[in-house]
Amino acid sequence: MKRRTIGLLLCLTLAVGMLSGCKKYDAKSTVDETKPTGEVKQTNTPVPTKEASNPVEEKFQLKLGIWPEDTLTDDIAMHKEFVKTFNEKHPNVEVVPAYYKYSVDTFVPKAESGNLPTIFESWYTEPQKLIAGGFVADITDILQERGWLDTLNPSIRELLSKDGRIYGIPRDGYALGLMMNVELFEEAGLVDENGYPIYPKTWEELAETAKKIKDATGMAGFCLLAKDNAGGWHFSNIAWAFGATFTVDNGDGTFTANVDSAEAIAAMQYIKDLRWKYDVLTPDPINEDWGTGFANLGVGTAAMYIGANDAVNQPTQVNGLPVDKLAMCALPAGPNGAQYSLSGGTPYMFSKDATVEEISAALDYLEIMGKAPVATEEAVAGMKADAQNRVANGVPVIPRFPCWIDQNVLDAEAQIIKDYGNVDTKMFESYFNATKQSGNLRMEEVGSAQDLYAELTKVLQAVVTDKDADVAALMQKADANYQSILDDLYKK
Amino acid sequence: MNEKKKIPKTSWKKKDFLGWMIMLPSIILFAFFVWEPLIESVRLSLYTAKGIQTEDFVGFDNYLRVLRHPDFLDALKNTFVYIGWSLVIGFAVPIIIALLITETIHLRSLFRVGVYFPNIIPGLATVMMWGFFFRPGKTGVLNILLSKIGIEGQVWLNNAALTIPLIVIAMTWKSAGSTALIYMAGISGINPELYEAATIDGAGIRQRIRYITLPSVIALAKTLLILQIIAVFQILYEPLVMTNGGPNNASISIMQLVYNYAFRDYKYPMAAALSVMICIVLIILSGIYFKLTTKKED
Repeated sequence: MKRRTIGLLLCLTLAVGMLSGCKKYDAKSTVDETKPTGEVKQTNTPVPTKEASNPVEEKFQLKLGIWPEDTLTDDIAMHKEFVKTFNEKHPNVEVVPAYYKYSVDTFVPKAESGNLPTIFESWYTEPQKLIAGGFVADITDILQERGWLDTLNPSIRELLSKDGRIYGIPRDGYALGLMMNVELFEEAGLVDENGYPIYPKTWEELAETAKKIKDATGMAGFCLLAKDNAGGWHFSNIAWAFGATFTVDNGDGTFTANVDSAEAIAAMQYIKDLRWKYDVLTPDPINEDWGTGFANLGVGTAAMYIGANDAVNQPTQVNGLPVDKLAMCALPAGPNGAQYSLSGGTPYMFSKDATVEEISAALDYLEIMGKAPVATEEAVAGMKADAQNRVANGVPVIPRFPCWIDQNVLDAEAQIIKDYGNVDTKMFESYFNATKQSGNLRMEEVGSAQDLYAELTKVLQAVVTDKDADVAALMQKADANYQSILDDLYKK
Repeated sequence: MNEKKKIPKTSWKKKDFLGWMIMLPSIILFAFFVWEPLIESVRLSLYTAKGIQTEDFVGFDNYLRVLRHPDFLDALKNTFVYIGWSLVIGFAVPIIIALLITETIHLRSLFRVGVYFPNIIPGLATVMMWGFFFRPGKTGVLNILLSKIGIEGQVWLNNAALTIPLIVIAMTWKSAGSTALIYMAGISGINPELYEAATIDGAGIRQRIRYITLPSVIALAKTLLILQIIAVFQILYEPLVMTNGGPNNASISIMQLVYNYAFRDYKYPMAAALSVMICIVLIILSGIYFKLTTKKED
């Protein structure tokens, strides 16, 4: 009998113990969980606000998902200064570092359980998905009130909007260009008398340049991506130069796939040639993605790679390429001289659960970081701090893409690049000249870009792994597949 | 419960109560983490959703969309090809290992530990390691080894015809050891007198295996066969990590399609619809499994 009682008690304890695990955490303890360790903890406590904080203003927390990750100690130090500046104006706001690296596996659970930081960065691919899922806050009115709405670059605004409402602001604008590892160009003797790399101006020249580099150094001339949708993303830009357009907007809410046009097939045939005729790609293109591409470029296992100006820290700071050995030129032109740069913006977005005050505070914080369309003293100080930090870490300080078209901001940025520029602007000249041409920047394809990329990536995989692949047939199949997806999405 | 008439009513109630209490924690766990999500995903698969919040009832619309998706047929076909290759490559290997080890006299425990060893390596690490082995070009481990004996490098996983068999080889390397242990246990349960008698009658190793060992493990093999089919049907991370379903869908599996719907596209109702379909297939397979195992007990 006694034993039975003990058994019962134990069972009860177990059940109760388990149920108590389901306790709902309050906001603060949740943040503590997600908070990075060590150093960051120190800043978790609000910076002292002894000077009579306004008793009327309600205290609240600003959870910064844009806090740097633990390993970037210099960046963290910079942000600590930002927090000090921020708290002078907003003593009632407790800034909580809540570093969040966007990932598709963790995002939805975090959003649905109310654990998203107030502000976070996402990928260029994600805004429409996040808006459709209702995970992010509508900030149109807040931006309107601040007068930021009109200074937002219209094409980037489009990317972050749905039905006329805006759900995010750009961290950086980007446009794809061709990044080069100058060390490999030097090794292959492909530099002019001043030491600047002789960069390819057409895709045909790129193939030849790549071949020379491969022959001279044994390293891949060009890194092609074919692992995931980034492959199709890059390829769409290549195909534009050949004259292709993949999706036709019918104007009635439906779209027609145009993947198997002669131009698109020619572009795909070109990729096939890169692999089989010139043999200049990395050994395993179907395992290359956005990150490994930069690794190849940075460590010198590939000489050229399609990259954007907002990712210059990837080959340098992340993968160790000396800052003066990175050059960037415009993407090569196609057979008829057409040349485009796929452009877009890396977004800051806001948790759907964030209050208006919290979002406003986050925008104020962006002002201090110098990432907002204002050129106040603090904002300029923020830009300077960022530039100093880049110089210290060997990241090229080059112009940002004009995601805000506010002249004061542009002037301030230009001044900072003049003061802190750590690279030879000639190394980037062709890229910036090209992207200033009207009609050069092109937004990604309409319809369903990600599904298009998925279909194109499959064809890329086929042509780089199969010498006998029938390019036209593969593109026709991709066209039929993409059309069926478009029909499913846009026809009821 | 009512069948247990022999036990006096009062006492079974008490006994019953304790039983339920013992089960309570796991019942709660099951309810929260298995049954509720299961029912919820059936419900989700019949609705449109904003994120994971259901909106409108659309009947079997999501199912039709999944079936119409261009990747579905590839994934379905591949999943059966995985099962096929896993039976060709993976089914006999554990039996052979078990036979060899039981026939071994010296260092038997060393071999036993040895074959089980790959099993204790985390799955992802195994898959990534084999990824390095199968790398095409001069930096792949297998190609480096081949070049030492003067054989030209291969493209391995990049060859669409070889992708699935190679992934199955990696899977077999990892899991054959644990299955072999089960067979070894089965073989050690065979009455040794049978072997003695056979030896006296002049049977060699081959005959002993043919007439004694194999017939004794056949029931076990049937069970493990069904379990293997059920496991391979749900193959996900091996192709996801090694090839991401490529080249050109040559190794995409049904479960990866679910993964893509849920985590790449955030289309949860479609992911739920496909999961429900997989669930139905697995229920059928499990039914067969139970039938086979109950027969064995009889």
